[in-house]
Amino acid sequence: MALLEVRSIGVRFGGVHAVDGVSFSLHQGEILGLIGPNGAGKTTVFNTISGVRRPDAGTITFDGRQIDQLRPHQRARLGIARTFQNLLLFSDMTVLENLMVPVDAFSRRGVISDALRLPSSRYEEERAVERARAVLHFLGISGAATTRAGDLSVGLQRRVELGRALCLRPTLLLLDEPAAGLDARETAELAALLPRIRERFDLSMLLVDHDMALVMRVCDHIYVLDFGRIISEGAPQTVRDDPAVIRAYLGEQVA
Amino acid sequence: MILAVSWGLIPSYTVIGLVLGGVYAMAAIGLVLIFRVSGVLNFAHGAVAMFATFVAYQVSILWGLPGWIGLIAAMLAGSGIGLVIETGTMRPLTGRPPLTKVVVTIGWLLGLQTLAGLVWGANAYHRPVQLVSRSGFRVPLVHVVVGYDQLTTFVVALVLALATAALLRFTTLGTAMRAVADSPATARLWGINVNRVTAASWMAGSAMAAIAGVLITPLISFDTYSLTLIVIDAFTAALIGRLSSLPLTVLGGIGLGLAQTYPRAFISSAGVSELVTFILVLATLGLLFRPGSSRVRLA
Amino acid sequence: MTGDRLRRAVVALLVVVAVAAPAATSDYVRALSADAMWSGLLVLSMVVLTGFVGQISFCQYSFAAIGAFTVGSLVSGHHWSFWLAMPLGVAFAGLVGVLVGIPALRLSGLFLAILTVAVALFFDNYLLAPGTWNSFSGGLSPWQPGRPAFLGLGLSGEYAFYLFSLAVFLVCTLLVWDLRTGKVGRVLRAIRGSELAASTMGLNLTAWKLTAFGLSAAIAGLAGALSAVRIGSVSAPSYDFVHSISLAAVAIVMGAGSVGSAAAGGVFLVFGRYVLQQLSISSQYFNLIVGAGLVLQLVLTPQGLIPSMTQRLSTRFARRTDGLAAPVPAEGVNA
Repeated sequence: MALLEVRSIGVRFGGVHAVDGVSFSLHQGEILGLIGPNGAGKTTVFNTISGVRRPDAGTITFDGRQIDQLRPHQRARLGIARTFQNLLLFSDMTVLENLMVPVDAFSRRGVISDALRLPSSRYEEERAVERARAVLHFLGISGAATTRAGDLSVGLQRRVELGRALCLRPTLLLLDEPAAGLDARETAELAALLPRIRERFDLSMLLVDHDMALVMRVCDHIYVLDFGRIISEGAPQTVRDDPAVIRAYLGEQVA
Repeated sequence: MILAVSWGLIPSYTVIGLVLGGVYAMAAIGLVLIFRVSGVLNFAHGAVAMFATFVAYQVSILWGLPGWIGLIAAMLAGSGIGLVIETGTMRPLTGRPPLTKVVVTIGWLLGLQTLAGLVWGANAYHRPVQLVSRSGFRVPLVHVVVGYDQLTTFVVALVLALATAALLRFTTLGTAMRAVADSPATARLWGINVNRVTAASWMAGSAMAAIAGVLITPLISFDTYSLTLIVIDAFTAALIGRLSSLPLTVLGGIGLGLAQTYPRAFISSAGVSELVTFILVLATLGLLFRPGSSRVRLA
Repeated sequence: MTGDRLRRAVVALLVVVAVAAPAATSDYVRALSADAMWSGLLVLSMVVLTGFVGQISFCQYSFAAIGAFTVGSLVSGHHWSFWLAMPLGVAFAGLVGVLVGIPALRLSGLFLAILTVAVALFFDNYLLAPGTWNSFSGGLSPWQPGRPAFLGLGLSGEYAFYLFSLAVFLVCTLLVWDLRTGKVGRVLRAIRGSELAASTMGLNLTAWKLTAFGLSAAIAGLAGALSAVRIGSVSAPSYDFVHSISLAAVAIVMGAGSVGSAAAGGVFLVFGRYVLQQLSISSQYFNLIVGAGLVLQLVLTPQGLIPSMTQRLSTRFARRTDGLAAPVPAEGVNA
């Protein structure tokens, strides 16, 4: 059974069908890519999976559970984490604090024991710091731990956002344009990093991006969207050579 | 607590409600104008009205000049204060979050109210400016006496509403205001002097508040406190008008006035109109902010 | 870090001064000092709301009124012990705070502010007005609760009551500060940073925001309960809308994100008026000064007076690392 089952998702904005009848599956351990020209509906599909937007039609099943009506924090608790195209870091907090927030969210510490600084609270706090530091170390950004997140460069901020999502210990990681704003070198680093993350954290990924090099290199399987519908799928090589895909990106004349 | 329904009182309560509602509508239109053009919800709107009314009081009651001169003085004072607030304290804050600007208006509320209390006495009795005579005429079928002052107030409210609509529709300034309300950046690109238009909206809106203040003081208690609080009624009416529609705002104001007055015919409890206002505030805030609705996402 | 230790030393010194100084003054000043304590709690309640979830409330005195009137009606009207009435008042206030918070979940800061204004006026003109709920509001006559005894020691003496108020204030401030620098503070700052990101990180926005509202209202309720027995008379005009506005203005000027501003705010609220009186200036000018101060301050220093000052001190004492500018210690400055 697939880890994530998206069945006939439909999303309407007013009278427009931004997404119509989209179905796909993601299997455990896969890195799945979702691509398509601008306006194809990729981010909308993404938002329905992460909980930002409820689908108007269709169902989404995660690990056997139907999740399409759940709110974002409930999906996070089930093991779905995401990063944002527009980088929604907690800019006024340090990098370390940013990474500790997901751990805090699941922490069982009560408000009272926190206020009184009971030993159990302090212990949990230290564990949270440890976990955050471990992730920072893995991502190679330990030096930025005490820096205010908003002060970092885009490349580093993307790493922080990745790290924050990883601290959730997710089963499924949703990556919304993780290469946006990165130069060629940084993108190549990211392409090398993602499979390592999959391996180290034992998770699956759904990736949406415009950078073809990244997608082709990293993804096991790709779905192509155009005008809210899936027009092609398959291994990177297959999709790249598919006339339908080329037509969608470059227009009628080329095909 | 619940009196026997005194049906006979309904007509006179209707008159009172309509007049009150007209005043609320006037104040609300000014508030909405300022809000749409400058993006600031002016919590000091009632305080401005109050201060301007006291200026009228100073001119007409203390100095003995005719009532209409007092009214004009009030309008000048009101628009003057509005201008000062805009140029002095709002303009330096461009780019800051709207909540910051609103807090500034809170500062103005405190300042104006205290200042008025210091100059004219916070708890003293003040004779309101009576522009039109209290005497009235009898309306034939419903057996109610309508004072000329009441009638004038209501008519003025409607005239102002129409005048504002006309201003926005047919004049250059009005069009400029609508442009700025829509998008200040784009308006600037079209050569509109956004600063001047914003200042104009504050002046016009505050002048309307001044008129509302002068007209309402014969009807309610005239002190530094109550008039300042008219802002919440103006808010409510403005919210009913979804902070954008002029006709709905007028209807909202009138509806609020009636809703506050009618229950008095049945229930003798003191704060009933407050309860009604509170419920209406909740209702309009709730309706305006349905989950999923992205209307008025301004602050 | 020397900046941290300096701060601790300053706080300790201030506490010592706070305990000892009123011994050398009159009973009147001691009573005012006690007032400064519960006023400080009110500012603290605003710090929780503004500093944690970034909302402004103009009805904190209404929550205080709940605490005050609960104590007033139960202690004075039904002869309950203060020690039973007070927690009840605090809980009641907290509950109402949560209720007010519910519509607030959907409202942006601006419209929430309007809601709190409506709540304040609702309390003033309806709930606490004579005739609506006389068994709670006392109708036309104010409640007059007497001072309780604490562990056998009577608190009727002004100095004794002041020390008690000081202790309550310090404990609350410490608790809020602990929360702020720990998980709760992080969570709430995250919510302020980006609600969307926070919710995708697993935070239940509703639960946290309501908790913040409830906590803020409860602290205000506690302040009200203290005020009831400090003044010895509970009447509605003392907790009206103008008081709430004045409080909000002072809290914002002091920097409502900072726990330290609570003490400063409380002292300012009470002794500011006192100073004016001593100078033979009408205490009415106080609100005028506060209003003007608020407007000026917002244009000049957005964070408020206290955080700006501590920020300047901290950066002076913080060490520079790796040639980078000293990072603003996110927890240290805002404490």
